[in-house]
Amino acid sequence: MLRWATPIVCAIALAALPLTGNDVLVQYGIDALLFATLAQAWNILGGFAGYVSFGNSSFYGLGTYGTAIAMAQLHWSFGIGLALGAFLAVACAVLFGIPILRLRGHYFAIATLGLSATLSAIIANLDISGKNIGLILPLTRADNAFYEEALLLLIAATATVAWIAKSRFGMALLAIREDEDAALVMGINTTRYKVAALALSAFFTSIAGGIHAYWITFVDPAGAFDLTLNVRMVIMAVFGGPGTVFGPLIGAFTLSIVYDVLASSISTAAALLFGLVIVLAVIFMPRGLWDLAAGFRREGARYFLRNIRAHRL
Amino acid sequence: MSTVRLLQAMGLTKRFHGLQAIDDISFELWQGEMLGLIGPNGAGKTTLVSLISGTLAADSGSLFFEGKPIDHLAPYERAHLGIGRTFQVTKPFPRLTVLENVAVGALFGLGGGVRDLKEARGRARALLEFTGLAHRADQPGDQLGGPDRKRLELAKALALRPKLLLLDEVMAGLNPSEIDEVVAIVKKIRDTGTSILVIEHVMRAIRSLSDRIIVLHHGEMLADGEPNAILADPRVVDAYLGKRRT
Repeated sequence: MLRWATPIVCAIALAALPLTGNDVLVQYGIDALLFATLAQAWNILGGFAGYVSFGNSSFYGLGTYGTAIAMAQLHWSFGIGLALGAFLAVACAVLFGIPILRLRGHYFAIATLGLSATLSAIIANLDISGKNIGLILPLTRADNAFYEEALLLLIAATATVAWIAKSRFGMALLAIREDEDAALVMGINTTRYKVAALALSAFFTSIAGGIHAYWITFVDPAGAFDLTLNVRMVIMAVFGGPGTVFGPLIGAFTLSIVYDVLASSISTAAALLFGLVIVLAVIFMPRGLWDLAAGFRREGARYFLRNIRAHRL
Repeated sequence: MSTVRLLQAMGLTKRFHGLQAIDDISFELWQGEMLGLIGPNGAGKTTLVSLISGTLAADSGSLFFEGKPIDHLAPYERAHLGIGRTFQVTKPFPRLTVLENVAVGALFGLGGGVRDLKEARGRARALLEFTGLAHRADQPGDQLGGPDRKRLELAKALALRPKLLLLDEVMAGLNPSEIDEVVAIVKKIRDTGTSILVIEHVMRAIRSLSDRIIVLHHGEMLADGEPNAILADPRVVDAYLGKRRT
């Protein structure tokens, strides 16, 4: 039970953050929590099964538009909007996943790259989604409500990943990551588990998109299906520790802080320095912060030397 | 050994571009039998194992397991029916522990495996004892040396609870005393009633293990029969053991 003490204390502390009354902090908080959710959702397929998806930004976009269409065009409630977005994203993940998850490694990653652009083009030509102008959602709520929802979503995503890490389902994903041919002869229906992982990933990603849409009250195709958002999910999850329960959260929070500090202090060079941080991270801790914490405790500075040597630098 | 056909191959053929790897092979494997499969390098032995385990699809011919056709089944479905294999180039899950490596087999093996992780770990632990790997249980799979990698490969396949175990050179690269250990393990597996198809170059092992031997040469069936007769057959000696100098 002691293992869960730290995460529970952190969750309570995060839940109490709006009590400070600092609006800017709450806004940064919503962004960071949503990013952490996206990284955690990406982690389900990317971290556990080793399949690098660049299709997650399309699930985010579908969640965004599901909510926006439901609320702005059909005048349904926020909850139904989220459900619609999640339904679209999960349906897309299953339909798209069954053929495309037959591809392995880089080929899978490349195939997913096209999905966002395709969906974005479709959305930009539909009347119900406001074509390429976008949609405006009703402005009705305070930031604090969005903050608590984003936190709840992150907790739900993390609890799901914690369950996966201890489950038969998770063992199947890990076996696929480690050696897919061996996994097949060991009785694992690899396609089914990969599609299920992609669908779960799509579910949490789309809900995050829906919350974000209602929060900023405006969606357009370029913003909703933004591939750079997908790149950030990957970087955050890999920076923190793919295939672990808390790595992606730590990666997302750390990088959100680094990015925001850089952006506010030296705005023009922020992207450059952000890139430098990533390069250094890949060299010194290729398996992420989570592995660094364990490795540093075990072998000290030699942990870095070992990683540098592994890169033959 | 009984007179029940466990596996039957009829006219199996597999071609890789220009190379005829398996050419019209038919044979049967009886329940409880230990069948040796020998032949020179490139004879098609591993290809035949891959056709049976489903990692390769045959161009023509058919396979029956317990009387039912299995040609259309994926590798994982064949594992559920009770076909387990080892790989000549061992395939441990590198970053999973040795115990987890074996537990995967228990979780997804015969009949779809067990649901409960604890039960799977328990079975895996018992198999590590059986194969002499218990002291390595918590090490990552990629940290094992040669002989232990072979043992792990064996333990993983056994965790599936196979009715038919396909062993692809589990003794290659081992020294004589390690070979004796593996032979002893394989004999113990046979004693539990498991049928085994064993590919091996170690003649001493294949002779002492096999009830019957089939010989492949250039993808064709060269001989099929009782071990001593096979190993004395001049055609087999010429093709495999080397031409007798006259």
